[in-house]
Amino acid sequence: MPPKAEMFFKSESRYRMLVENSSDIIFSLDFEGYFDYVSPAWKNILGHEPSEVIGHNFREFVNPDDIPRCEDIFMAVIRTNSMQEMTYRIHHGDGSWRRHTSRVNRHRDENGVQTIFGTAHDVTERLRFEELMTQSEKMTMISGMAAGMAHEINNPLGAILQHAQNIERRVSANIPANVQAAAEVGVSLDLVHAYMEKRGIFDFIAHIRSAGIKASDIITNMLQFSRRSDAGAEPVDLSTFVDKVLELAGTDYDMKKKYNFHRIELQRHYVADLPPVLLSVTGMEQVLLNILNNAAQALAGSDLPHQPRISVRTRVAAGMAVIEIEDNGPGMDKKTAQRIFEPFFTTKEIGVGTGLGLSVAYEIVTKGHHGLIDVSSQPGMGCCFTVKLPLQGVA
Amino acid sequence: MNNPAITVLLVEDNDMIRECITAYLEDEGFTVHSYVTAEQALERIVAINPVVCISDMRLPGMDGESFILKAHTLCPVTSFLLHTGILYTLSDELRDIGMTDGDVLLKPIHDLSKLVKRITHISVTGRG
Repeated sequence: MPPKAEMFFKSESRYRMLVENSSDIIFSLDFEGYFDYVSPAWKNILGHEPSEVIGHNFREFVNPDDIPRCEDIFMAVIRTNSMQEMTYRIHHGDGSWRRHTSRVNRHRDENGVQTIFGTAHDVTERLRFEELMTQSEKMTMISGMAAGMAHEINNPLGAILQHAQNIERRVSANIPANVQAAAEVGVSLDLVHAYMEKRGIFDFIAHIRSAGIKASDIITNMLQFSRRSDAGAEPVDLSTFVDKVLELAGTDYDMKKKYNFHRIELQRHYVADLPPVLLSVTGMEQVLLNILNNAAQALAGSDLPHQPRISVRTRVAAGMAVIEIEDNGPGMDKKTAQRIFEPFFTTKEIGVGTGLGLSVAYEIVTKGHHGLIDVSSQPGMGCCFTVKLPLQGVA
Repeated sequence: MNNPAITVLLVEDNDMIRECITAYLEDEGFTVHSYVTAEQALERIVAINPVVCISDMRLPGMDGESFILKAHTLCPVTSFLLHTGILYTLSDELRDIGMTDGDVLLKPIHDLSKLVKRITHISVTGRG
């Protein structure tokens, strides 16, 4: 080793400087899991003072579900004397869980004292981004299938709808060809009409038509996937816009009649001086209405011990305009939250929802606006949808 | 039932759709000539000289858009409607020959009386 480097590594103050200025957390703990050192980065990354951590057990900070995995890794380190890597959720001072990746190894000092030491850094955003990418790839694939399927179904659907219409019309006395054909076979068109009426046949035909129209509406929704529409984007004042959507929601039939929207307390927290956001008004209306619809449905569908409430917030974070819509309903488990933006995923009874609303919202936000949409929820803890839109305009 | 003077040409490769639109329009009194392909329709269009021509977008062989552009050069007075199963934005070429967004019919047509209204409107205003 060159003399300079030798001097450097002999100087404890220099070592200390390296450790204390590291942007990663550096820690050491005894074999029972009690911290005997954490670097100042802990406070920056996780919000606790080092004095709140040193002398405490790692089990007080790590998510209970992840403790056994960490214990296994520590055992492996002790047994094999080799470096190991682990990812776990750890408690942040603000009450949230963060995901950390840590490299750990064992160390024996000159007095024979053995510790586990390691470095840790926050990978929450990176993992979240990776999950979003996977989600986005999945959506792209499904949307391609949806467009193809929609196209194939439109012709048979058209035949069902239009033939039903033709059947209705071919017994009408208003069309001369009908009267003539009836006369040729020796029946009275009026009697045929009366018979069909009496036996409810016209109702059946009407049902075929209304079912066909409903199916066709689903197909139209599916086709939204193949549409990358950012045409018609305009700069919009977000607070005014959100107010307008809330007003729209209040007049929506389903919201009013089925979900008692007027009984839900609406809280608005809009940040002042939000710059205008470039968005497609109809598209984003659909997004927010779908989220509000989902929230209202969740609130209506459960006996809550408290006043049902939807909070709508706007703010700016990391160069993006953020809209948050949070309800205090029954919430959902992690599996549901992970799948909620998938087409046809629905927790509602068959016939209540198509399972398309939020997947269309996902497409509009991500493809139409190059934004992000996300949900966070826990059973019993309500549900919060976050829509983030770039402030620098829509590409 | 007072539309016999209005001749409609329909190009649609799906048998059921072709049949039900033809039946409906004939019940309304229109004279309807229907063809499965654009190529067949092009052979006859000058002789028929329809007031309105409805074409499917996806056809075997020549597609609906190319068909309309070609047919327009043969029958400049005919008005065209494009029947399509995909969300479709009218091309500049089709706009140049006078087509508007209202001339694009999205499949499936829920109520054929709307198609009838469109055709009679065109025949009355003489657009084309």
